[in-house]
Amino acid sequence: MGSTEQEVKQDGSEATQPVREIGHDEYDPIGTLTLIALYFLILISMWFFMYFVEFVGNDPTVVGMV
Amino acid sequence: MQIHNYEKMWLVAALVLIVAIIATITYGTVGLGIAMVDDTEDTVDPGALEEEDGFDDPGVTQVGENEYDVHVIAYQFGYDPGDEVNGEIQIPEDSEVNFYVTSRDVIHSFSLVGTNVNTMVVPGEVAAITAEFDEPERYGIICNEYCGPQHHDMEGIVAVVPEEDFHLFTLEDVEAPDEVELGDDATFDVTVSSDHYDERTTTATFEAENETTGEEVEVEEELTFDGHDTAETTFTVDTDDFGTGDFDWTVTVEDEIESGSVAVLEELEEDE
Amino acid sequence: MSTFVDDFPAEAKVVRSSMYNAFVALAIGALMGILQTLYRTDVFHFISAEQYYTVLTAHGVFMVISFTIWFLVGVFAWAVISSLDRGVEDLRFTWAWFGFMTVGTLLAAIAIFGGFMSDPPEVLGSELSADVLFTFYAPLEAHPFFYIGLVLFVVGTWLAGADWFRSYLAWRSENPGERIPLPTFMVLTTMIMWYIATLGVATSILVFLLPWSLGLVDTVNPTLTRTLFWFFGHPVVYFWLMPAYLLWYTLLPKLAGGRLFSDPLARVVFVLFLLLSTPVGIHHQYLDPGIAEGFKFIAMTNTMFLLLPSLLTAFTVVASIEHGARQRGGEGRLGWLKALPWKDPVFTGMIFAGLMFAAGGFSGMVNAGMNINYLVHNTLWVPGHFHLTVGTAVALTFMAASYWFIPQLTGKQLVGRSIALVQVVLWFVGMVFMTNAMHRTGMLGVPRRTAEPWYDGFEYAGNVAEHNFQIALGGTILTLSILLFFVVILLTLLRGSKGGVEGSSIPEPLSGPDHSPAVIDNLKLWAGIAIVLVIMAYTLPLASIVERGGLFGPDGMRSFPSGNPGFLEYTSLFVQMVIQNATEVIFR
Repeated sequence: MGSTEQEVKQDGSEATQPVREIGHDEYDPIGTLTLIALYFLILISMWFFMYFVEFVGNDPTVVGMV
Repeated sequence: MQIHNYEKMWLVAALVLIVAIIATITYGTVGLGIAMVDDTEDTVDPGALEEEDGFDDPGVTQVGENEYDVHVIAYQFGYDPGDEVNGEIQIPEDSEVNFYVTSRDVIHSFSLVGTNVNTMVVPGEVAAITAEFDEPERYGIICNEYCGPQHHDMEGIVAVVPEEDFHLFTLEDVEAPDEVELGDDATFDVTVSSDHYDERTTTATFEAENETTGEEVEVEEELTFDGHDTAETTFTVDTDDFGTGDFDWTVTVEDEIESGSVAVLEELEEDE
Repeated sequence: MSTFVDDFPAEAKVVRSSMYNAFVALAIGALMGILQTLYRTDVFHFISAEQYYTVLTAHGVFMVISFTIWFLVGVFAWAVISSLDRGVEDLRFTWAWFGFMTVGTLLAAIAIFGGFMSDPPEVLGSELSADVLFTFYAPLEAHPFFYIGLVLFVVGTWLAGADWFRSYLAWRSENPGERIPLPTFMVLTTMIMWYIATLGVATSILVFLLPWSLGLVDTVNPTLTRTLFWFFGHPVVYFWLMPAYLLWYTLLPKLAGGRLFSDPLARVVFVLFLLLSTPVGIHHQYLDPGIAEGFKFIAMTNTMFLLLPSLLTAFTVVASIEHGARQRGGEGRLGWLKALPWKDPVFTGMIFAGLMFAAGGFSGMVNAGMNINYLVHNTLWVPGHFHLTVGTAVALTFMAASYWFIPQLTGKQLVGRSIALVQVVLWFVGMVFMTNAMHRTGMLGVPRRTAEPWYDGFEYAGNVAEHNFQIALGGTILTLSILLFFVVILLTLLRGSKGGVEGSSIPEPLSGPDHSPAVIDNLKLWAGIAIVLVIMAYTLPLASIVERGGLFGPDGMRSFPSGNPGFLEYTSLFVQMVIQNATEVIFR
């Protein structure tokens, strides 16, 4: 990561100014990828749980007329 | 267009998720045979349900060895049959049940609590859904669509009963006199219907007792039905056996009971 | 850098007034919310079971029609004016749509609150009440005021959209060839979606329900009006959501100290919402008889692809925030989370709103899954879902954004910043309790929209009492949170010191609009495709519904409550009332 560090004045309590500027090409959103991958795993596992355990296990179910 | 590699990965993952969900639902339909309530039934006139096939006499009727049709009319605020006024819906264990539900007023639902049997009930349309019931169990029916100020009172029962306790005989009518002159016969004309699809027999039992004298009679009559049939029989009491005074009678067919009492008089008043 | 009120004082007044109206609706809606929460969990009955449905109607209409849409017009007006950097073309026109929306809200409110009277008066010949809930399914019938109010309100939003298109066209003639600024692009695409979607509800009301409530026609086809409602009823949820998305895409990266990760993808997302929001409404009717399974399956497929823009948004917005955190010195795979401005109530409120939306997205997938709908349809699961989405993703974003907007619109500094922080956290906590328990009880089969969901004939197979406790507790925390919200807003308005408010400029995106093909800004193209998709999705189902049940339903269909006056009687009453009022006005 070749971020260009920039010294910015700190006004005490909360910094609203960036301490460095990060451009598009040097920005690597690895944290976002990690969080979103976690979310994906939760979604997939919860979906199969809801469908095959909670739903299919909640017999009787409406079936096609024979 | 510039898209970051991670975002491209996420785009692919999101599409995989979407396709996986659609595939699961499709498997439910094709693999598990879960069907949606749909447009296969003809529409009905909600103002004239008494003229519609099945809804003219709502209730359970057998259509195959283990298959039953149940016609239900939802209304503000109950189910006919199903609720307390109209009596619970009884079906036998190990059966396949086709529910046909319509409404005679507003939109309701017909939902068996704690199951996946759940459908909207729209006036003019018939919700046709099929479900299989294995074990004896009592399911609450509720309306889960707001239908008016007493919506929360709308409930009923589907009772899945053991095979041996189940029957579809209905004691339709007992024609009995109120007064009889001593020495005449008192006659009781009994009408019983069967909603079974095949040939069946059942027993009608007639009992009468004069409480003052303690005199009793009990008669049994075997009734034979074709599929969806009605049978009639007549029980006769010789009033000389009872003497004057009131006697009580009951007619029993399976768990259906009708009763009343007859006054035996020395001489009938002749008003007319 | 100047605030919005400095640059556009007259426009700021419209935006401010819209938001105040939203706050009034929020206050009424919140009061109705706690009354019904305590009733249906059997904790305390301030109202009767019959009044519960009046309360429920008011809660639904005030929260999801008045609060959300009043706030939306405020946000959208701000977004267009500030991003085009030009005032409205004609301020009288702007106040005109404001007036339409106000009169519409009041009429609907009068009709709904009539239901609280033990013996509602007859107005224009029919009983003044509208206990029909937010969905007003026929043949349940409301007072004509309810339908007229909704129509005026919607017409007001149409005019508002026209106002923004007018600004855009004026800007375009002066700036040919330039890319549409992102906030304006978001507003315009959303409004095109809204025009298409509201055709459904406008048809339902103007052609069927209003004439029917006035006694001009005797019957309606309940499946048809229901389908037309959901033609509008699903896109309306995106209408609520789009201003929240707009704020997540524009304001949130700025607050995090970063820049929007990708402007092109943000545009793609809004185009996808325009295209896919409407041809999906039948997924609310999976369990309706009289609609073929094939139509339901098509609606499901469209709905599932509608997940895509939301999933893309999750990435883009989080990446923009991460960018801010790293610019603020954040390090590590997840360590950057610590570098975010968690003490800022605007930021934290919006992040919690987004987090709850991630959970709501999941329960939404379940709702959208055709056959799994048998499990959850019309159970408490569904309100559990939409209290995560509209009740948190939208409402909490709006409340948090208010802490940013009110200073922008008044020039006064926010008072009670730490109370505001507590407020947004309490909303999150309250919703966690309430929605979790709602989802769980829904899976046990506990119905929604029911005053007393306890029955004589059976017991639920689970611990409903414990869940009810969580729902009541959550509702109480939410009420407390609303009270704090009003404390902060009122303190700011009454005590806030003028000046020193940071400017409203939005930093440039990391990947700018020039990275996307120009075709993305071709609004006519997207509008055309959206209309074609709607026609494809709805022609056959609507034709089939009309063929089955008739345009005006079967003859035996009645109205509930019935007993409306005939048209002549109504007209004469109306004329009498007009004359009476006119003479009073003239001779006063």
